[in-house]
Parts: sequence; C-alpha cells; structure tokens
Amino acid sequence: MINNILIAVIAVIAAPIIGGLLSGIDRRLTARFQNRFGPPIVQPFYDFFKLVGKENISVNQTQMAYVWAHLLFAIAALILLVLKQDLLVLIFVLAFSTISLIMGAMSVRSPYSKIGAQRELIQMLSYEPVLLLMVVGIYMLTKSFMIESVFSMDSPLLYKLPLVFFAFLYVLTIKLRKSPFDFATSHHGHQELIKGLTTEFSGPQLAIIELTHWYDLIILLGIITLFFANPLWVGILIALGAYFVELVVDNICARMTWQWMLKATWLAGIGSAGINIIGLYLKA
Amino acid sequence: MDSYVLILLALATLLPALSAAICYVIRNSAVRNFVVVVNTLVLFYIAWEFTRLLIASNGSIRIDEHALPFNVGEIIKYLDVLLLVTIGYYGFKLKKPLIITLTVLQLVPVILFEFFMTVPEPATAFVIDYLALVLILLISIVGPIISVFAIGYMKEHEHHLHLEKTKQPRFFMVLVGFLGAMNALVMTNNLSWMYFFWEVTTLCSFLLIMHDENEISIKNAVRALWMNLSGGVAFIAAILMIYYAKGTLSVEEIVNTPITGGFVGLFPFAIGLLCFAGFTKSAQFPFQSWLLGAMVAPTPVSALLHSSTMVKAGVYLVVRLAPAYLGTELGKVIALAGAFTFAAASAIAISQSNAKRVLAYSTIANLGLIICCAGIGNHIALGAAILLIIFHGVSKGLLFLCVGTIEQGIGSRNIEDMQGVMKQMPYTTIIMVIGAQSMLLPPFGVMITKLLAIEAAVSLPVVLTLIVFGAAFTVVFWVKWIGLVLTMSYKPKLVMEKLAFSISSSLGLLLIGVLVVCMGIAPMYNMLISPQVKAFHVADKIMLLGGNDGGIWLQAWNGNIVGGFAVLSVFVILGILTLGMLFYLKRTTLDEVRTPYLCGENIDMDIRGLQFTGPGEKAANVVVHNYYFMGIFGEEKLTLFLNLGAMALILLMFGVVMR
Repeated sequence: MINNILIAVIAVIAAPIIGGLLSGIDRRLTARFQNRFGPPIVQPFYDFFKLVGKENISVNQTQMAYVWAHLLFAIAALILLVLKQDLLVLIFVLAFSTISLIMGAMSVRSPYSKIGAQRELIQMLSYEPVLLLMVVGIYMLTKSFMIESVFSMDSPLLYKLPLVFFAFLYVLTIKLRKSPFDFATSHHGHQELIKGLTTEFSGPQLAIIELTHWYDLIILLGIITLFFANPLWVGILIALGAYFVELVVDNICARMTWQWMLKATWLAGIGSAGINIIGLYLKA
Repeated sequence: MDSYVLILLALATLLPALSAAICYVIRNSAVRNFVVVVNTLVLFYIAWEFTRLLIASNGSIRIDEHALPFNVGEIIKYLDVLLLVTIGYYGFKLKKPLIITLTVLQLVPVILFEFFMTVPEPATAFVIDYLALVLILLISIVGPIISVFAIGYMKEHEHHLHLEKTKQPRFFMVLVGFLGAMNALVMTNNLSWMYFFWEVTTLCSFLLIMHDENEISIKNAVRALWMNLSGGVAFIAAILMIYYAKGTLSVEEIVNTPITGGFVGLFPFAIGLLCFAGFTKSAQFPFQSWLLGAMVAPTPVSALLHSSTMVKAGVYLVVRLAPAYLGTELGKVIALAGAFTFAAASAIAISQSNAKRVLAYSTIANLGLIICCAGIGNHIALGAAILLIIFHGVSKGLLFLCVGTIEQGIGSRNIEDMQGVMKQMPYTTIIMVIGAQSMLLPPFGVMITKLLAIEAAVSLPVVLTLIVFGAAFTVVFWVKWIGLVLTMSYKPKLVMEKLAFSISSSLGLLLIGVLVVCMGIAPMYNMLISPQVKAFHVADKIMLLGGNDGGIWLQAWNGNIVGGFAVLSVFVILGILTLGMLFYLKRTTLDEVRTPYLCGENIDMDIRGLQFTGPGEKAANVVVHNYYFMGIFGEEKLTLFLNLGAMALILLMFGVVMR
C-alpha cells in the first residue's frame, strides 16, 4: 500500500518533468526541420511558469473547473498506469479527461472554441474504437485486462500485435494533435479556427492545459512501452522512436479535413487492428 | 411469515390497482394527490420489506397456488378475455384492421387454451428471486416517484392545453395501475399469468400514449399497440408450444431446461418466440419506432415507459430466460441482435436535436446492451445485464423528468434551445447534467456496465466490435448535449427557479437514487446480483466481485484479479471537482471576466458576447450550433437499412432454433 502510494507520487511528480522536456525536444527538433534554431529545451517550463503568473481572466465562472477536471483525470489515468491497473478503465478515464476539456470549451459562448470542441469530439469518435480494440487485442494474449499481466508475458506483445501497434501509432498522432490531425486546435493562432478548443482559455488555465498535455504524452508513451515490456528499456526506446516518428509526420503533413480523418482512421486504424485481432481469434 | 408475504404480495399488485380505481372514481384533485402519495409511500415500504424478507430467506420467496385465498387462475382466465376484447374494441373504434387481426389471433388460442383444455397450473404461483426483486425495487421506487412528479407536471400540462374537462383521473388511473401490473409480471411463476400482465402493460402504454388524443398521439399509440400485440401473438404461440413440448407452464422449470431436459424439438422455437416478444416490448430494432413515437405523451409517461415499466418487462423476460438458451446458438444470435441495436440506436442518436428523441434512442441502445449481455450469457455479462437494468432505470427516469421540467420552463425540447438554460433553471439543469453524466462517464454505473460488456464479449468478435462502436457513438451525443446545456455567460448570482414541490422533490429523490446506486455498486452487487447470477448456474472462468474498497473487480478462477477498478476513489476526484466548481462559481468577479473572442468585432458593453459587428456595421447575432452529422448518421439515411439488418437478424434467430 505504502509502496503503491510512493510509486504514484513519484510518477505524478516525474511525469510532467519528462513530458515537458520531451515537448522541449519536440520544439527544438521541429525548429531544426524548418531550418530555424529553436528555443532552449527547457523553454516549455519557462512558458508554463509565465502562464501561471498571469492574472486570472475567464469568460464565465465555470471554465476553471473543467480545466481542473482535465488535469485531475489525466493524473488519475497516469496513476492507473503506474499501478498497473485495468487498461480498459485507463482508456475510459483518459477519455473523461478529454471530455472535460471539450465541455470546458463548449461552456463559453464562443464560436471558435465551440467548433474546436466539436472537432475534438469527432476525433474521439474516430480514435476511441481503435483504443478499445487495442485493449481487446492485448487481452487476447494476456487473458487479463490488468496492465500487470503484460509484464509477466514471455514474449513481447509487439511480435503478436504488430498491426494493433501500428493502429495505436496512428491514434497517437490524433491524440497529440499533430498534423495531419491538428484541426481541433493548433500551435498557430492565425488560421480559420483561431486556436480552436483552447481559444477562450488564458493564463493559469492554459498553463494547466499544457501541464495535462505533458501527462497525456507520458501516458501514451507509457502505453507504447507495454508493447515491449520485457526488458522495459527496449520499450522505452521504442516509445521515444515512435515520438520521433510523430514529429516527422507532423512536419511533413498538411492538415486534413475531419471527414477525411474519420474515414481514414476507421479504415486504417480499425481495419488493421481488426485484422490483427481476427488473426488471433483464428489461431486461438 | 407466510400470510405476511401474501399481504405484501397483495399490496404490491392490488394496491396500485385500488389507487387507480380511486383516482378514476373520485374526481377530486386533492383526493387524487393524497392517494398517489399514500400509494407511493406504501410501495416504498413494500420494496423495503421484500428486500428484507428475501435476504432473510436466502434468495427465494415462493408462494404456492393453493395458499392463495381465491382461485386466481380462474379470474385471470376471464380477465384475459376481457382484456383482449377491450383491445379489440379500440381496434374497432379507431378502425384499424391490423389491430383487430392481431387481437383475434390472440383471442382464439387464449379461449381454446384456457377454456377447452385442462391445463394444470404450476404448483408454485409466485416466485420472488433477486432478479424479480431488482425489478420490484425499480417499479416500486422509481415508478411511484414519477407518479408524484406527475401531480405537479399534469397540472401545468393541462393549464397549457386549456382543457375544459380535466383528463387527469383516467391518466392517473392508468399510470398508477401500470405499476401493479408490472409488479405482478415480475413476480409470477406462471407463464400464462405473465402473458396476461404482459398484455395489460401493452394496453396501459397504449392508453397513456394516446392521452392527449390529437391526431399524432393516436397514430403513435396505434403503432405502439400493433407492434406490442405482435409480440403478444408470439407470446401466446410460445405458451402453446412450451406446453406441448414440456407439459408445464412454470417459468422456473422452463428456464431450468438444460437440467431437466434437452434444448430440442418445439421448445427452442418457443424460446425464440418469447425473446421476439421481449424484443418488441423493449423496442429493439426494427420495432424502435413505437418507443420513439411514445414521446408525444406527457413527460411522466415517457419517464415511466423508459425507466421502470414496459420496456423493462421485455428485457426482464430475455434475462429471465437466459439459463434456457445459455451457450446455445440462439444465445449468440440474441447477443448479436442486442449489440446491433446498441450500435445502431447510438449512431442515430448523434443526428438528433430533439432531447426526448435522444433519450429514446439512448434507451433503445441500452436495452440492446442488456439483451446483448443476456445473450453472451457468461458470468460477467449476466451481472452487467442486471446492473444495467438498475442504472439505466434510475438515470433515465431522472433524465426524462428533467427534460420535461425544462420543456415546461423554456417551452422547447430542442437541445439547441437549451443553450444557457443553466442561468434560467440552475436546479433542474444541474440535476439533468449529473443525470446525463451518469449515462456515460466513469465512475458512474452505466459506464461500468459498458466496460463489463466489453470485457465479457471478448469471445464474440462481431458482438464486441458493435459494442465498441456503440460506446464511441454514445460519448459523442451525450457530450454534445451536456456541453450545450452547460454553456453560459457570466452571471453574478444564480437564482433558483420556482418549481412545484412535487416536481422539485421527485427530481431530488431520483438524483439521490442515482448517486446511491452508483456509489453503492459493490455492496449492491454482492447482495442482490451476485447470488442471482450464481443461481443461473453459469460455470465460468472469470467471476465478478464487489470489493471491500467499494470497487468492482473481475476475478479469474485461480484468484487473480484480471480487471476492474476502485469505483469510490474516482468518486472522490469527482467530489473534489464539484467543490472546485462551486468555489469558482463564487470566486469569479466581474472585473476578471472578458468577452469571448469574436475577431475584435465585439459590440461594446456586451460582456456576454451575444452579438458582433457584422457586415455594414450592423449588429449580428452569434449563432453556433452543434454538429449533427446528418449526412452520415441521419435518421432517414440509416433507419431503412438498419431495420432490414435487424429483420435479417431476427430471421437468423428463428433460423438457428428451427434446426
């Protein structure tokens, strides 16, 4: 029990630090891709503390509560991950975190943030089935929904679930809001959507959203490591490699429409995960 | 003890009938309200007593036929005929040949069977087990609360309609009487008695849907009637077949078939017919249209039909029969049909902007999931099915009452008009939002059952895929709705709306009900549902457990935990957030508030951001609607194909039992 609490506390503190550093590396690498020099790696932390120090401004009274929900449920998902609990529950809790942000964006009378929220919802619609199928794929091998069971497998999941892994990478692009799927919000506030989902959040609210993003990043990379859990360092390398691939994809792709995304994700994501899982059924 | 049980039984079934008669005969609103409230309190007491007695008697209360003070079978025989004649009378009055045909198709076998054949009645007339108890609790707690709500609602409703003569006596008669029929339906062990109560609920719902007696309500009531009558025809046919195949009408013996005899001959076909009857009553595709049409009736009717009565009778029958088709091909097809309805109804719900239609599609979807779980038939799935009956009943009852209250408040049931309703009706809105959240978010119950359904369906890939899609669709339409309802601009202080006491109290009570069942999932599961699932004789590798930590866990045969989570700990987070919400509501001051971003074209002094400077320097309104994806999920686009698919599944169902 004490041990579990300790693990949870360490994870909750360490995750944003690693997540922040990773997004610092992201910005640096992206700058290099674009022939720019880029900010220092710890720039995300400077940004974060600057945002925290800004005055409280909001459009209505309730916004901040949704932002807290966004953060707290991401932390809950992280705790589920490090305590090796039910993976399916983790997916649902993580979805709740996103839903909180969507509701926060919808809670204000702002066209840009509302449209961003609707688009985020479409994203959820397209990736949620893939995530659930991924969990089923893992269950078929481990016969358990607990993350713990993954670690007691003899051979890595990746060998038997290559297509599910691919589907998850695909979803990762959407979850991280990278191009070509960055239409709910983007890093550049000068497009048709302004800043979409996050248009009406400012100062400390934005800081918390950024913090949650780091947690999300760690949770998603953590799920990737599950595909190669023994030895864990290989899994971590694979996760970092996957993140690098995401950066490259982000930089070489243009933004797509949501219709395209829905079709493509269901076809490629659910299609490949489905084929993989059917293969497992046939073998079983 | 025995006579006490008999009194309770009589109260549960006959008291609502008596209250109904008083409501109809004494046309005085004060007396009527008094009767409804007394009826409510007594039913609460009965629910409590049944729970206590059932736990004390180890999960089975049995009442022999000869212990009854008079010959009930003989009375029901004549009531059967009277009932069918009444339905036939409505068929003649409304000139609907279809209804007359379906009535005759039932009347002939009923008369032949009941009057010209000597059928031995089962020795045990009533059996109350945990499944029946769960339904009794729903019927006797949620149902009466809805009838109390109706007191305030119907007054307002008739005020809007400017009626010369009040129609409330008949309304309350049917509404309250319905509860008695439902209680009897879930307790009886005699299939032919069950058929009688089954048809009583059909007639009751027909009368309630028709209540306003305008063109559309009559049309929809007739549709509800013929669809349910076709289920009735299947039911009576099934009774005949079962009698020929097994020589008994005892529900207990029928469901224990795997033990007492094979799944062969006419018997499987009869079970298929009974499931078909369940499908019609539970508005599964392709019979969904009657439930959608039912929303023309006043709100308490929808609340009652969707939560504790009527549609729950259908799923009750399918779950009750589960042991009979456990592990057969029929079970798999039932699971498939249920999952199909779950995904299909959830998909169409995305395209709906009418709040009641969204609720109706969501009900259909959840009933589909219950049926699917019953069909999957393993330990987890059966537990999830019974849990979902409870969670869905309480939450959906609450949601309908909230939508009805809001409709009376703002004069619209369109979701788009509910933008900003938080500022006008904070009490109702907050309750509605909690109700809606209880339908999709962790750690509330409905979401847990979805989780369990997915975990239970891993051995059936197609069913699993349908559930996964359905779950994703569900998220979309609920979040769209909740987000819109919670949209608000800054208001310094929220003032509570004025509601009739019967309305505000019933909303409050049901909200408490939702929270209690969701937080108490572990003890509730251990006490009421786990023994029932065990009684179904499901031998399975993975069991479901309610943990001491208030969580719900999946345990493999070797004792390893293979899934589940600590429900209560997530409630702690939710509690913190709720407090946070209240804190920020109070703390935010006007000078912290800015207008929403409108490209810098905001109108001065418009802190709410309702307008912007449009073309020609004119003020234009900011209008943002939700996405409804009509092109993908539109009702007109999908319904035909989905109905065809569902019909194919039903044919398949009969195909597998024919062999």
